[in-house]
Amino acid sequence: MLKRLGFAVFAILAASIAQAQAQTVREMITIDLPNDAATLDPHLQWDTDSYSIYRNIFDNLVTRDASGRIVPQIAESWRQVDDTTITFKIRAGVKFHDGTALTAEDVVFSIRRIIDPALRSPQLSQFDQIVSAEATDATTVTMKTKTPYPALMAQLVKLSIVPKAVVERVGAQAFNLQPVGSGPYKLRTWQRGVGITLDAVQDYWRGRPPFDSANFRVVPDVATRVADLQTGRADIVRQLGPDEAVRLKSDARLQTLSAPTERIGYMFINALAGPTQDVRVRRAIAHAIDRKTLIDALLQGFGKEVDVVLTPANFGYVEGIGGNAYDPAKAKALLREANAVNASISFLTSPAYDRRLVEALQQMLQEVGFRVDIQTMDHPTFLRRRQGRPDEAGSISLGRWSCACQDADGVIFPLFRSGSIWAKYANPDFDKEVDAARSTLDEAKRLVHYRRAFEILREDVPGLGLYQDYAIYGARREIRWQPTANEAFFLFDMRWQP
Amino acid sequence: MPRYLVSRLLQAILTTFGVMTIVFFVMRLSGDPVLLLVPEGATREHIDALRRELGFDQPIWRQYLTFLAGLLRFELGVSVVQRVPAWDILASRIPYTLALAGAALVVAIGLGVPAGVIMAVWRGRWFERPIAAIVVAGQSMPTFLTGILMIMLFAVTLRWLPSSGVDGPQSVIMPAIALGMLSMSTFARMARIAVVDELGKDYVRAGLARGLSPGKVVARHVLRNASIPVVTIAALEIGNLLAGAIIVETVFAWPGIGQLAIQAIQSRDFLVVQAIVLFVSLVYVVVNLAADLLYAGIDPRIRFGRS
Repeated sequence: MLKRLGFAVFAILAASIAQAQAQTVREMITIDLPNDAATLDPHLQWDTDSYSIYRNIFDNLVTRDASGRIVPQIAESWRQVDDTTITFKIRAGVKFHDGTALTAEDVVFSIRRIIDPALRSPQLSQFDQIVSAEATDATTVTMKTKTPYPALMAQLVKLSIVPKAVVERVGAQAFNLQPVGSGPYKLRTWQRGVGITLDAVQDYWRGRPPFDSANFRVVPDVATRVADLQTGRADIVRQLGPDEAVRLKSDARLQTLSAPTERIGYMFINALAGPTQDVRVRRAIAHAIDRKTLIDALLQGFGKEVDVVLTPANFGYVEGIGGNAYDPAKAKALLREANAVNASISFLTSPAYDRRLVEALQQMLQEVGFRVDIQTMDHPTFLRRRQGRPDEAGSISLGRWSCACQDADGVIFPLFRSGSIWAKYANPDFDKEVDAARSTLDEAKRLVHYRRAFEILREDVPGLGLYQDYAIYGARREIRWQPTANEAFFLFDMRWQP
Repeated sequence: MPRYLVSRLLQAILTTFGVMTIVFFVMRLSGDPVLLLVPEGATREHIDALRRELGFDQPIWRQYLTFLAGLLRFELGVSVVQRVPAWDILASRIPYTLALAGAALVVAIGLGVPAGVIMAVWRGRWFERPIAAIVVAGQSMPTFLTGILMIMLFAVTLRWLPSSGVDGPQSVIMPAIALGMLSMSTFARMARIAVVDELGKDYVRAGLARGLSPGKVVARHVLRNASIPVVTIAALEIGNLLAGAIIVETVFAWPGIGQLAIQAIQSRDFLVVQAIVLFVSLVYVVVNLAADLLYAGIDPRIRFGRS
């Protein structure tokens, strides 16, 4: 009896010590990213590792909730005045890390700054439909666009608000190294190539951030990121492959967090040059591809089949367009009909694409009677050829497209609208639909246009949707977090629960 | 001696200049970073505008002249990706690279030279074989494999060492071993050959005939004479250790120049690549110069023969 009591006391003691330790240790969260931030100035660089960090330092004009809906952040509310004018009510009581209040002037400054060509922001193309922004009173910003622009709100999800006074005082270069935002975390140190440490802003306007500090480490090798998780050096790591995700399952202390994203894995098919000019050849390619096998065998289930070049996370996605299903017999028949059996098609690729996926597709195409010539080149060369003249762009290639706007306008317009650098396809009927869809704010009308556009693409096959891409993170069991379709990495949305 | 130094220095400047020129053109002919910087969906006009703003629309010879003018003023330019002076980016990595290369050199020389001497002096004894096997293994195991295996064993399973990053001296142990193993084999083979070579010379027999113990002959005379080829190798290896740590730095997340180089090349960050190339070629040149001077220190025949 006494022995048992002693044991119980011991167990309770041990548990409470463990509890106390867990709470004190988790004051800091450690995150492994594959790369260092390129810049911490949110208006300068646009890559996932940079914004995984700086989005925690800055607030955005608007944001998306867990379900993907656009909801207020710095803008408390907004009103469409006419087709090209929109006003935003700016939230009162938000403070920058230096203690000054965030005002309508800061919002105006942020917009004007990112659309100023002199800043040389690579993100200019996301915001250049905005022609003016003005503070009409202390808490109101009026914004005008060139034409009615339905994707405006989706783009503004990415607009970080920077403090006018600080940027003007220190200049762009110093601001990049010592950014000041209004977000839940502020910069403590940035050791280039090593990592970045952020401190929580205790009186943050949305509440107290979940971790007192956050340490972002730079760990380029995925096997090392997994080892860091296993040894407890990292609490959460970004960008795992499907194989690593499966490996984590054997460790009870770890979990895989994943979410379908707005990124679409697709195949480009050249409709303007080579053997794929014949629509029957393009359809044959479409019928030769078994998406289910690709997803089950190569992506280990971390992907979702789609039949259009768009994911369900985007506005404009239409269910049940159908067509172009896996049917090797039909593919062979189409090839015979087109007199193209043993046609040689070139498959352009770069190290940015999974080699196993490329080879699996090659094999599927060869099985129905194509000869597939894989041409590998470095990524800038690949991009130059893919965006260049039709006869240089190859017959087919893979793509993983994300417009970071969750709208069809950012996907099928640049990919297939004639005249766009990516389009190797021209069909006036298609152009009419996507042009109409981008110049009205009426969502129901837009959906009708997109349905017709996808029906045209189904018949013409200048590209083929393969799968909706997943973002995969590895994390300690105690982390509670639901990753989102736009690959946002908001520490504020995470919880630690031992 | 001063004339020798001056001619070596001129040679060094010419070499560095040549390397920089080649790298400048090769990098630019393989495409510029603009396509990698813009988000998907950017139009031709946006891409061209950014290219103009960054100056990549200029003819390549004009870009080259601008680059040379900057070099004369000791300016390496501002990274188009990070928007920070290229030199600052490079400078923040140099201490890590020096620390790793230094530790790797300790591993390489500390293990390699004794192994080579043992294999030479006790040729044909039973323990020569296992030592030779280790030397060969060090040379033939690819670093990415030894790196991952070491992480699995010492970090994940045994928990003795941190799996990645830089927190204190224990962090350098695994990367230094992974990086130093290859050089260790080179040192061992060179030391063995040099010592075997010296052991056959007359002065060794003379020393033994005068009644010196074999240990004294080796320690006092053979090693000193055998050290010339080892110093030559050391100069080359230091260059390799500084520049060739790309894989090790990637596997162990060590923030040195190798890791920076691979990132800069992938993102076509020309100015950073140029800064790295300039630094590495200067290191090669300086270390080789230092080795030449060291010969003179070690071997009076060189010292007196030249002056």
